Amino acid sequence: MVTKIVNNDMSAAAAAPVALIDFSAVWCGPCKMVSPVIDSLSEKYAGKIEFFNADVDENMDLAAKYGIQNIPSLMLLKNGEAVDMKVGFMPEPILAKWIDSQI
Amino acid sequence: MERYDIAILGTGPAGVSAAITATIRNKKIILIGSADLSLKMVKAHEIQNYPGLPHIKGEDMAAAFKGHLDSMGIEITEDRISSVYAMGDYFVLQGGEMMYEATTVILASGVNTSRSLPGEDDFLGRGVSYCATCDAPLYRGKKTAVVGYNEKEEAEARFLSEVCEEVLYFPMYTVDDAADISERFGARTRLIREKVIGIESGSSMQSKVLRTDAGNTYEVSGVFVLRESVAPDKLIPGIEVRDNHVAVDRQMATSLPGCFAAGDVTGTPYQYIKSAGEGNVAALSAVKYLDELKRINA
Repeated sequence: MVTKIVNNDMSAAAAAPVALIDFSAVWCGPCKMVSPVIDSLSEKYAGKIEFFNADVDENMDLAAKYGIQNIPSLMLLKNGEAVDMKVGFMPEPILAKWIDSQI
Repeated sequence: MERYDIAILGTGPAGVSAAITATIRNKKIILIGSADLSLKMVKAHEIQNYPGLPHIKGEDMAAAFKGHLDSMGIEITEDRISSVYAMGDYFVLQGGEMMYEATTVILASGVNTSRSLPGEDDFLGRGVSYCATCDAPLYRGKKTAVVGYNEKEEAEARFLSEVCEEVLYFPMYTVDDAADISERFGARTRLIREKVIGIESGSSMQSKVLRTDAGNTYEVSGVFVLRESVAPDKLIPGIEVRDNHVAVDRQMATSLPGCFAAGDVTGTPYQYIKSAGEGNVAALSAVKYLDELKRINA
């Protein structure tokens, strides 16, 4: 399950031991393609990682805070601290490998 | 969406050969590229080592290939693929306006001759973008730059000019003295006839500086580098690249299951007959992959 972030409120993501935020937008092609990959990963990592989606148009302050300049940007947080970020579409096995190397 | 068995990218000897073999094997294919076949092949002065076609001019070889495709009813879909997404058991190909779906992909797009600009790879995803339509809204009301490698990119500048405060357009080709600059490049676009030689970090985290051969520097919020052919790992995110070429095995399989590559894109020697041979192997490997997939899903 992927939780939508609204009003720049990422308290739930910050409170999670490990969280992944997918910064994206409705008009962005690669974001649309990565969305089902994120859904699938959220099932596979259920109980280990909490998944969030932040629409950059609706969460501009948040996007600015983390210096999001291209989307999709996938940001991994540990106890609220951003530890790594991947930009652009990536196939699921490669993203899974990245997540495994970080957690 | 209609799903093809095999999508073949490129209309040089590798792509043409792959299309012929895949069609003989009765697969539903889409061959995407230029209807006039590979421009590089058409321009070749003479090819001396292609069996059966001695001392043939590039344009005659292209005509022979086109005749072969026509005789088998193979059509060429004219489009430019900007991204190929590996979705697991299928691929999505992003064209100019259309999207395509295929179970397997044969990448036969030729060799990428343009090198990255200094700084381009370092800042990719952090202020440097290859996709104006993707990232433009992030730069609403800001100043951006377009490094355009051909005239087709002028449309992207026009699009950016609708959302950005100002667009600096750096043509990496010769632009004739155009009177209709705002019509051609966009109302808020400034045409700068200097060649970009590097991208550096700017005065803030959110800005980049372009350095040109005229010795000038330009600070902008975002840089769009737009060129005809993109490097294979940028075309197909996640694909393994070795020495600037797509890594393949003897079966022409890449690191992504279901994705095969053939021709110059896989490395030297850059020879027509080698490309045609690899296209044949790639097609047969794709057919085998499809058959196995069918067996698993049966």
